[in-house]
Amino acid sequence: MLLAYRLALASPRIRASAIEATEFPSLADSMDVWSVPRIVVNGVPQWDGAVPERVFIDRILAPAFE
Amino acid sequence: MSIFQADEEGRVRKLLDALDRPVELLVAHGPEETPLPGARDMDFGAETERIVTGLAALSDNVTYRVEDEPEGFERYPAIAVLPDGEDVGIRYYGLPWGYELASLIGSVLEAGKSESSLAPESLERLAALERDLTIDVFVTPT
Repeated sequence: MLLAYRLALASPRIRASAIEATEFPSLADSMDVWSVPRIVVNGVPQWDGAVPERVFIDRILAPAFE
Repeated sequence: MSIFQADEEGRVRKLLDALDRPVELLVAHGPEETPLPGARDMDFGAETERIVTGLAALSDNVTYRVEDEPEGFERYPAIAVLPDGEDVGIRYYGLPWGYELASLIGSVLEAGKSESSLAPESLERLAALERDLTIDVFVTPT
């Protein structure tokens, strides 16, 4: 989560939110949250779990988000 | 009443006093989703405000304000972490309790740094970003 915040601090094009899943159950359900942290980019569920900085950036810069 | 135990409070106070720039926390109240069974007695918005107030009480570098349904929030309660009072798109949705309190403190420490803690290579790649990205990280307090 802190990595996502670091990205938002570093780029004006990135916004980052942490969402407490138990408090927003219907939203968490709609994003198929079964384990945390679950990463959702531009409203589309992507992956679960912490990954290194380089891998995280590889994934969010992937052509799928163009 | 402090939100920390005495030994923790001293440590957090030291970390916050060492920030390079001030950080403002904006607590956003609004209509809340029906909580899970068992949590019905808790007022999430009031608890969130209590935690933020407790954090801001520890250092002059951290201030807070409270607003009702401000623009730029999707659900409530929420906290925006504003480095130097500027909205750079950092939100915490929900009550930061348990382990998530440490995450909130971590986000204040990050926002209070004048230089990014990302690797130079990462910063270069982000500088080339030509589209907007919204990253949501679902977390739980345990």
